[in-house]
Amino acid sequence: MTAHRTQRGGRIDRSRIIRFTFDGTAMSGHSGDTLASALMANGISVVGRSFKYHRPRGIFAAGIDEPNALVTVIRGKLREPNVPATQIEIYDGLTVESQNRFPSLSFDVGAINGLAGNLFAAGFYYKTFMGPVVGPLKGTRFWMFCEQFIRRAAGLGRAGYEADTDRYEKMFAFCDVLVVGSGPAGLAAAQRAAAEGKRVILAEQDGTLGGALRWRSATIDGQPAAEWLDTTEAELRAAGNVTILPRTTVWGYYDDNQFAALERVTDHKSAPAIGEPRHRQWTIRAKDVVLATGAFERPIVFPGNDRPGILLAGAAARYAAQFGTLPGRRVAIFTNNDSAYEAAVALRDAGAEIAAIVDLRAGISPAARDLARQAGGELLLGHAVTNAGGTKRLREIDVQPFAGGTITDRGKRSIVVDCLAVSGGWSPAIHLASQAGAAPVWDEALQAFLPPAPSQRWTGAGAFAGKFSTADALGGEFEVDEAEIDYAPAPVFEIRPAKKSGKSFVDFQHDVTASDIRLANREGFQSVEHLKRYTTLGMATDQGKTSNVPGLAIMAAARGIPISQAGTTRFRPPFSAVSIGSLAADTHGHFKPERLTPMHDWHMQHGARMYSAGLWYRPMIYGAGGETIEQAYVREAAAVRESVGIVDVSTLGKIAVQGPDAGAFLDRVYTNMFSTLPVMKARYGLMLREEGIAFDDGTTWRLGEHEFLMTTTTANAGKVMQHLEYYLDCVWPDLRVHVTSVTDEWAGGAVAGPNARKVLEVCVDGTALDNDALPFMGIVRGEIAGAPVLICRLSFSGELAYEVYCGAGHGTHVWDALMAAGKPFAITPYGLEALGTLRIEKGHVTGAEIDGRTSPRDLYLDWMLSKKKPYIGSAMVDREGLVAEDRVRLVGIVSLDDRPLNGGAHIVERLEDEPRDSIGHITAVCYSPALGKYIGLALVKGGKTRHGQRAHISDPLRNRFGPVEIVSHHFFDPEGSRMHG
Amino acid sequence: MVEIVSALEPVYRRGAHGNRDGGSAITLWETQPGSIVQVTSWPGKEGAALAAINAAASLDVTADAGAGVFSDTRSAFGFAPGRWLMVDQAEGMGDTLRDRIDTQTGTVTDLSHGRTAIAIEGERAEWVLSKLFALDFSLAAFPVSVGKSTAHHEFFTLIQRTATDRFDLYVYRSFARSFWQLLCTSAEEVGYTVD
Repeated sequence: MTAHRTQRGGRIDRSRIIRFTFDGTAMSGHSGDTLASALMANGISVVGRSFKYHRPRGIFAAGIDEPNALVTVIRGKLREPNVPATQIEIYDGLTVESQNRFPSLSFDVGAINGLAGNLFAAGFYYKTFMGPVVGPLKGTRFWMFCEQFIRRAAGLGRAGYEADTDRYEKMFAFCDVLVVGSGPAGLAAAQRAAAEGKRVILAEQDGTLGGALRWRSATIDGQPAAEWLDTTEAELRAAGNVTILPRTTVWGYYDDNQFAALERVTDHKSAPAIGEPRHRQWTIRAKDVVLATGAFERPIVFPGNDRPGILLAGAAARYAAQFGTLPGRRVAIFTNNDSAYEAAVALRDAGAEIAAIVDLRAGISPAARDLARQAGGELLLGHAVTNAGGTKRLREIDVQPFAGGTITDRGKRSIVVDCLAVSGGWSPAIHLASQAGAAPVWDEALQAFLPPAPSQRWTGAGAFAGKFSTADALGGEFEVDEAEIDYAPAPVFEIRPAKKSGKSFVDFQHDVTASDIRLANREGFQSVEHLKRYTTLGMATDQGKTSNVPGLAIMAAARGIPISQAGTTRFRPPFSAVSIGSLAADTHGHFKPERLTPMHDWHMQHGARMYSAGLWYRPMIYGAGGETIEQAYVREAAAVRESVGIVDVSTLGKIAVQGPDAGAFLDRVYTNMFSTLPVMKARYGLMLREEGIAFDDGTTWRLGEHEFLMTTTTANAGKVMQHLEYYLDCVWPDLRVHVTSVTDEWAGGAVAGPNARKVLEVCVDGTALDNDALPFMGIVRGEIAGAPVLICRLSFSGELAYEVYCGAGHGTHVWDALMAAGKPFAITPYGLEALGTLRIEKGHVTGAEIDGRTSPRDLYLDWMLSKKKPYIGSAMVDREGLVAEDRVRLVGIVSLDDRPLNGGAHIVERLEDEPRDSIGHITAVCYSPALGKYIGLALVKGGKTRHGQRAHISDPLRNRFGPVEIVSHHFFDPEGSRMHG
Repeated sequence: MVEIVSALEPVYRRGAHGNRDGGSAITLWETQPGSIVQVTSWPGKEGAALAAINAAASLDVTADAGAGVFSDTRSAFGFAPGRWLMVDQAEGMGDTLRDRIDTQTGTVTDLSHGRTAIAIEGERAEWVLSKLFALDFSLAAFPVSVGKSTAHHEFFTLIQRTATDRFDLYVYRSFARSFWQLLCTSAEEVGYTVD
């Protein structure tokens, strides 16, 4: 037992010792302790330093509302800063550090800021760092100069730089009733819904259920509250229709009763089990929701109210009753309502001495008076605490008579205490209801904002709805024996002694004082939203859970208006801090699925160097030993020109276009005609966007009267599919056409080169392959090594070439057969680099040229624009802007200095020209083995009219300048004799 | 016949994996049907298309949204208005359906090579799938034999429930390996066996 640990009591397991370290000091606690309760039990009074003034701060609350006791949790090399000590369940090996102090928590040089406190009032940055209007530090530069020092001097915890290696997951859930909060109201609601056979999810942000039942004294149906809790929890767990989610904070309420919740799965464990995530991000869709989120106790603002040892009365009671830990040995209570009297009794029961109960009210309820008798100590009605003494631990409080809002000096005295438990009333935790979409309503009696009328399907229960007693929370269905106290507070939020004796803090986390709020008022920042941004009241990790209402009340008083007129901040998600890892979940590390062709493993086994093309992985080159990329692709491309090569084209988008109107549909989609295409023939097609810009190209094969196989570029397969579906669904629903993605159904290999036919003749059965049987753009069916294949004679390389398609599951089988058949011809697998080289030599366009800005005319594809029919884009393709003379158009370029060219480089007319004088840019480059030169394709103003002209490339980024000749983009075999041969 | 090579082959590791504390909570395996065929009807021709499916496969699929049936060797379910997926352990169902469904009724698209079929079975199957898909997998919302179409990232997936604790998933073949690895990772927490 430690000095602050009680002899008995609490819901901790005293038989289990948990060891942890705080700022390097070994400490211990018990199973069931939070870090806050364990630190308290170990006699730690100062847990952190304040944001701005570096004032020593202790534990102030017991839950998510904790503004002071933020720590950094160290896990290996990872640091998680700004975690409330009240939310950390201790485990063996837990390592935490205090924050915002140097060199140590007990001696912090930053505390000097407190001496210059008046300088750092609200608006300090805005006023100070506007900067001089002249000179080297003018404007924001002064701020930027100072920022590096200010950032070190102020702030919260320091994040680590190591990559987060933890696992995070997402989870989707559906239920009839989501109950948020497992206090008495939440438990009763869950019980009721479960009894009605509804699917229930009960979410509780703490590690254990019960809320205030864990520490408040009451009997329910003759059982002590804690026992009733255990019984009820057991019943709920046994029910098959209830999912209980402890350590789960519902942090966002979105449209249609969709909720975001964070489950902290393993934060309370020394190590996760195999496969266990650290956090799980839940998306919950609920038909109905019960908001039983409880209420936050408010402090009373008075000079010195941030001394370590001063905490909320409800928190003090909770530490005593739930954790068996005393926040102090000699305790005073300062309150404006009855609830603190229960805390006094709880502290007394745990072994504390109650020195005094200081109540702002002149009269209290009989129940409160009875509790005061039980608690002992002096009852000082009509008094206020006007100051608190001590630095790292509360030493004493000043008490003065208080009546009608006036403090009198006569009767002032000091009381020696080491703990002051404060209650300024209760604010229902209405955040989720506010997020759901309505303004909260001010209740004059409770001096609190109550939830608005529901704008979605939610109901409120318990303290959330302003029903603070256990009986009210349970909904009247149980016999409850508890003190009948009055939760309505005196409408006093701040104590202002005539003689100012220290700072009165409103927002502990951001060091915002009552003076700051009045200053904001004087300077015109009076609206709630302005107040928040000018003073930072209610910002940071606690989002003002203890400070919003007192701050608002002080502003209202300063303006001389009622609180109800001052308004309140509407809450936005998240309710409390959410790990970014959990939001990313399995997209952690920029997850993207890998899309693999059927021959992927073959490529890997044969030395392919892969690169990604969208989600696909495709061979770039098949590098032989010691080859550079250029050497490899030149070798591969040359092999195609000289004999035969094979390339994996499985990634091309493939769409089955089926139905009686398929031909008519394609006539509308493509610029050229497809309805007249004979069966078992293919045709090259061009699609435009609606405004006449080139969209995609590819060949489409007619496999039957009503069946086409459309191929698209790899990159645009998804977009084309969406394009087709849009037109069928929305524009031409009368057409009887179905489109289905069959990209994955087919494996495809293009066999290209003068010996391509010979290779196929070796291995293809069931069909002839000569010019008559299989002319250019013809299609035949056959078999390769027993696998059915579809062969189309078409060419992207400019060589005699065939695309061989088979079922994807037969892909490797057929590929192996083609390789075996090609062995006598030294068949060479080639990658995208060689494929690109071959197409550049031929002047074929790809996405580099069909770049979303070029028209068919820019690419000299206007021969494909049918005059006989309308098609998507036909109405706009002839508009003025698309036929202008100064548009960039496709050309070829040849490097005249025998050096490589770069894609994206500008082309200028004179060497001395700047890139801004650009007449175009390079789209694709290669070394052409056929020409023995570095060549490229480019889009240049004037296009063909510049053939034969000299120009220069201007690429300052890569420091590449040099002469080029502009030529036809048909570099190689412009007549097409090789592919037609 | 030439054997269809599984897209999962290099990453298909038979045996028990993941958290073994409570034994394997689920079993995963590739079902490798011989035929996976999509049937799509024209508006107003749904009844005729269904009749053809039922006649071809000796099944009894109804016109209700998502309705499906299954036997030891065959299954069928609707996954969109006027669209059904028909699965047969034997090859050739595409041709059989093509013979029965004319162009006035609808279209038949053979996807036997293009989709990978994965079964997930066990008491935690719903839990594992809920990590990936925004679907209500409870028995009340997703009864046995019903089919649904959904997606996780780029993984467009068709799912049919074939037992209270079993679901059959159909994913694009090119994504299958990636999806399988993600599914296995998601199942590590509860422990899984690859059959």
